[in-house]
Amino acid sequence: MSGQAGTVWLRFFLALAVMVLWVPAKAQAIETQPQTANSTEAVEWLRRLGPAMNMTSYRGVFVYGRGQQVHSMQVAHRYSGSMVEERLVIQDGGSGEIVRRGMEVVCVLPAQDTVTLDAIIPSGPLADSFSDQLLPATRWYQAEMLGEGRVAGYAVVKIALNANDPYRYSYRLWLEKDTGLLVKSQTRNADDQILEYFQFTSLDITDDIVDSELQITTADKNKTSTMSLEPSNSVTELVTRLQGWSLDWVPAGFEPAATPRSDKRQVIAFSDGLAAFSVFVEDIASLDMPTGASRIGATTVYLRPVQSDGRQVLISVVGEVPPITARKVAESVRFDSANVDSATASLIEHQGASR
Amino acid sequence: MDDRLRETLSAMMDDEADELAVRRLLSFSDQDEVCGQWQRWQQIHDLMHGTGVAADSVSPAADVSAGVWQRLDGGAPTSEHSAIKATSRQRWHWPAVAMIAMALVVGFGAGSGWQSAGEPELIAAPASTEPNAAATVASVSEVSLQGLDDRQRQQIHRYLLEHAQHNSVGAGRGSVGYARVVSVDAGGY
Repeated sequence: MSGQAGTVWLRFFLALAVMVLWVPAKAQAIETQPQTANSTEAVEWLRRLGPAMNMTSYRGVFVYGRGQQVHSMQVAHRYSGSMVEERLVIQDGGSGEIVRRGMEVVCVLPAQDTVTLDAIIPSGPLADSFSDQLLPATRWYQAEMLGEGRVAGYAVVKIALNANDPYRYSYRLWLEKDTGLLVKSQTRNADDQILEYFQFTSLDITDDIVDSELQITTADKNKTSTMSLEPSNSVTELVTRLQGWSLDWVPAGFEPAATPRSDKRQVIAFSDGLAAFSVFVEDIASLDMPTGASRIGATTVYLRPVQSDGRQVLISVVGEVPPITARKVAESVRFDSANVDSATASLIEHQGASR
Repeated sequence: MDDRLRETLSAMMDDEADELAVRRLLSFSDQDEVCGQWQRWQQIHDLMHGTGVAADSVSPAADVSAGVWQRLDGGAPTSEHSAIKATSRQRWHWPAVAMIAMALVVGFGAGSGWQSAGEPELIAAPASTEPNAAATVASVSEVSLQGLDDRQRQQIHRYLLEHAQHNSVGAGRGSVGYARVVSVDAGGY
């Protein structure tokens, strides 16, 4: 009898041992992404998306919506040899347009006077490497083919990119089957609500785009603003600009991206290839700001006013991330007025560790 | 379609048709006619029984016939079978995870090995992390933009625009990015 009980216990512990050995092995297998045929196909499509965004010539009208707002825009995009030319005309509200020719962008926006475009120095190389950014992103998202369909008269494939953690949103992308052009997209939260969407309502993929379609036509030249996409910002340059503060936490996979140069305040932007957020740290003197998050579609604004060295400083995190992410990032800002170098070093170190 | 086939079809609806008759019905050359008849009767049947099933939700007869053939022949059904297989695999997955978690708790006491039991669950089923995420989101205090004064709103507007601008142009989001800039510029949120 006791022998039988012993055998039972032996079996139990053997089974337990097998399970204990099996669990970490399984966890590791999942972490390195299950490469099913389905997800491999989805990743293959994403690889096409980057070049397609720039190298496809097309004209059309798309709608963009977030929160309560919906906008309609007309677009013409031409790729000739090595240069990308693009013109977007706002179809509702105040008249405005954005024209891009190679590395130069001209904006005519309805409320232009509130914009400080001269402070914006976006990064050039990034603009042409959407795919390079997107592919590593598949580590933080589960890519999946969701079938086929039709958008704006074109046959499309539908891809899901589901976030692996609660610190980012999930996406649905519709890619035109011949070119890989993005023709529809949705940003969804964990409850599967659509927070932001983009969709072509009419589209003509053609190489026959004439010059006149790409020329700026707005009469009021005073409202025109030009910015250059010169590739000037390296990450090192960017990081050394952070004076006296650093971030203790950003979600895994988010890396520093190019940011505007500004003397008065400090900004750093992060992107995981799909989602992006910016952290602003600024002296606000007399301005009294509340603490908390506001949401506009997929965009969260988290405000955190703090006292640092007797100064009133506002930490703001703005981006297409869930409120919990924005709050955690804002709360991880650490002021280090004594040693700027150590603050910088810790940020670099942290970035290295989070990879 | 002759009366005998009609009779068979009617009997099939009442689950009273014999195998031979069903085979004859399914071998009938004009399956579209059979399909149409099945749908019409199904609709009438639904109306009479007040089940309120919408006409277009009636199972297409093609699916029914495929299913019936499978039952009759006992052959390997195609898509339906694999779907069942997939679900049964998934169903197995959860008890397995629960079993392992339980075994670890029993074997080592809650605490040791807790982490490793939790991890695969978290990664294997993103759905399970979602309620957690929702719970934490709820804990972030909300600031209503409408409740702010002009200077505060202007400050937020500037941040939004700046973020949208370098996100759009810098990250090469193209049209979506530009649309965000326009959206912020138009205000009204």
